[in-house]
Amino acid sequence: MTATVNPEKVLKDLRELWEQLAKEQTDAGVLRACAMTLIVIAEDETDAEHVRQTLGVLMHDHPSRAIVLKAAEGAELGARVFAECWMPFGRHQQICSEGIEMTADAANLGDVARLLLPLIVPDLPVVLWCRGPRFFSTRYFDPLFPLARKTIVDSETAPNARGAIAVLRELRSRGERVADLAWTRLTGWRQAIANVFDDAPMKISDVKIAYAGALSTRILYFRQWMELCLPAVRVALENIGGDAGIRAVTLSGKEGGVTVSKVEGSLLEVRSGQKTSRTLLPPADADSVMRAELSITGADAVFEALLK
Amino acid sequence: MIFGAHGDLSKRKLMPSLYRLAYERRLPSSFAIVGNSRTKLSDDAFRQTMHDAVKQFLEDSPFDEDLWNSFARNLYYVAGDLKDRELYSAIAAKLEELGQSNVLFYLSTQPSFYGPLVDCLGTSGLARPPAGAWRRIIIEKPFGHDLHSAVALNEEIHQVVPENAVYRIDHYLGKETVQNILAFRFGNGIFEPVWNRRYVNHIQITAAESIGVEGRGAYYQEAGALRDMIQNHLLQVTSTIAMEPPALFEPDAVRDERAKLLRSIHVMHPDEVAANAVAGQYRGFRQEPGVDPDSQTDTFAAVTFFIENWRWAGVPFYIRTGKKLPKRTTDIAIQFNNAPHAMFNPNHNSNPSSGEAEPNLLIVRIQPEEGISLRFLSKQPGSGMRLRPVSMDFNYGSSFGERSPTAYETLLVDAMKGDATLYTRQDMVEASWRVVQPILDDWNGRKFEFPNYDAGTWGPAESDKMLARRGHHWRNS
Repeated sequence: MTATVNPEKVLKDLRELWEQLAKEQTDAGVLRACAMTLIVIAEDETDAEHVRQTLGVLMHDHPSRAIVLKAAEGAELGARVFAECWMPFGRHQQICSEGIEMTADAANLGDVARLLLPLIVPDLPVVLWCRGPRFFSTRYFDPLFPLARKTIVDSETAPNARGAIAVLRELRSRGERVADLAWTRLTGWRQAIANVFDDAPMKISDVKIAYAGALSTRILYFRQWMELCLPAVRVALENIGGDAGIRAVTLSGKEGGVTVSKVEGSLLEVRSGQKTSRTLLPPADADSVMRAELSITGADAVFEALLK
Repeated sequence: MIFGAHGDLSKRKLMPSLYRLAYERRLPSSFAIVGNSRTKLSDDAFRQTMHDAVKQFLEDSPFDEDLWNSFARNLYYVAGDLKDRELYSAIAAKLEELGQSNVLFYLSTQPSFYGPLVDCLGTSGLARPPAGAWRRIIIEKPFGHDLHSAVALNEEIHQVVPENAVYRIDHYLGKETVQNILAFRFGNGIFEPVWNRRYVNHIQITAAESIGVEGRGAYYQEAGALRDMIQNHLLQVTSTIAMEPPALFEPDAVRDERAKLLRSIHVMHPDEVAANAVAGQYRGFRQEPGVDPDSQTDTFAAVTFFIENWRWAGVPFYIRTGKKLPKRTTDIAIQFNNAPHAMFNPNHNSNPSSGEAEPNLLIVRIQPEEGISLRFLSKQPGSGMRLRPVSMDFNYGSSFGERSPTAYETLLVDAMKGDATLYTRQDMVEASWRVVQPILDDWNGRKFEFPNYDAGTWGPAESDKMLARRGHHWRNS
């Protein structure tokens, strides 16, 4: 591959971008915010647009130097810099995060990794976000893993749930720290189940997870998590009708049982004997789960246990 | 008076700096610049060559033709061979003609000419100032190619001029951020109390270049990274970061402390070299023009130094430099000890690659973006006690909003004023050669399996292993 991106030129462009921003905001100036380097592998041009929108949301909580890499087979290498800015309510100073948009040949990410290395912000965490299903079917991304302390994927985009988990297990066994947004989306369900035990400790012998649609990684994770939390309990899956996804979880034992079911939209209903309560699932859109996942800077011990 | 005025340094650094000084009206009104090299040129041809060079290499400044024309009127040229005694008579006549009695001789020639040139300045009488005037000599690096040659060169020079007329230039010391280290350390009360072995775990100094030898293969293969960078620039930076506070900010007080620090660096015993020094050569160096296909030259060097004094005993100073590394950067990272008791969940603040807690880091960035950063842990907003590293940055350029002078501008003005604070003294040069000499001796007697690192990486794996032996790792600069 003929390298046409000079990392030093890109860094110089970033410096000039900040100087330009500072000149444009003569009153209060701009505040440069950066807490990490976020390398995002976008699927294509349209996906890169979505990424830019997501970055605009993420920067409020997780300002970063974002490197958005549009990796397509045969794509020519190129780079340009950009900034995302916002002004908090009631303030007069813009807060800005910087970004680099790159195009590269997906089959040559080894060379791209060398270009990315100097573009990483020193001494701050580096997170790699591989979007789309390609991650699970190619080894293109392997050279990028050593750059990051954590790689975030979304296995719900993968065509084969069990295959996707196998890929993540293999990565974990090689010492890579991986996070899966499919797992992050389970946080609301896990909280609801945990709260059941907070309210009334009970002895459980059976768990039934009812789901609709295809067997997804989210459902598989959920079953594994139940098995991990309740090792002596039988956990069964049951496919029922309705909107795709987890529909209900029934925990039963000699003393009775509890059912947590999705009733409408993102509302969960918890029924235990005569008592009924309702709770809202946290938003499961890409922006929200990404925001939640970026908050976990260290190891997610529970998820790592699932991948063992 | 610039010897080697037609050379690369003169075109890229000296003339642009002098032009910039003229732009800022920091040159005396009666100044004159006389250039010399073997190339036969008229004054006008020399002016035109320098015009093109300054226009090309002037950094962060506008080029003003009118100003240039006024500046160029004071440029003169005397062609001649440095070994030819008549050259010095011609120079003397030119200085006489220009009415110049205070003269700064800038030796920007091949290092092998330094001794004979100074000797000629002596025998021709050029080195001897008229009453009430001064004559000073600026000598570019490298000052010697080992300890023995540096001592011999010093003796040769002192036959002609006293030490206080010799200005050995190390342009790193003229950089604003390197000078700012002194301000940062000794102008503030909060840093010095933790600037010692009780609080500092180790120090990393990185000077990386992304380019290769760029046509200087023939020169570079005689020097190598250890000689070209560590012996001079990086040991001077080390002395600045680690020296004791001088009682006064005046040339000899500052240089005494620098020299004392350099003398305190542990001189390795031959059997300590292998564990504490790593040589590397990038793939492709041997194919560069002018480079021996079996070259054993180090294009990368990493060394662990220890300073044997009360302040720094036991604290490793890791220094690395190299060509074809991921990016051009020079910085100093002071890594502090971890908090003595880890009361927070280690899963929330550990680095998975090493399993260590995130230590506090104070980074002094020398180039390309001069500034200082402090990394510390902060609670992440929201419920729970999740910690994450954050960086507090001071950016020199944007904080002051004014252009910083280049190192050569600073150093040239200092030499004209007779301020040698930022120049290296004989004892400093000899002390730094003494420190690297055992490594040079060891490497000279060894056949390395070069090349051993790819362009765009942070050098050979042995460099990582050198730190790993003490439980440390290089930061990604």
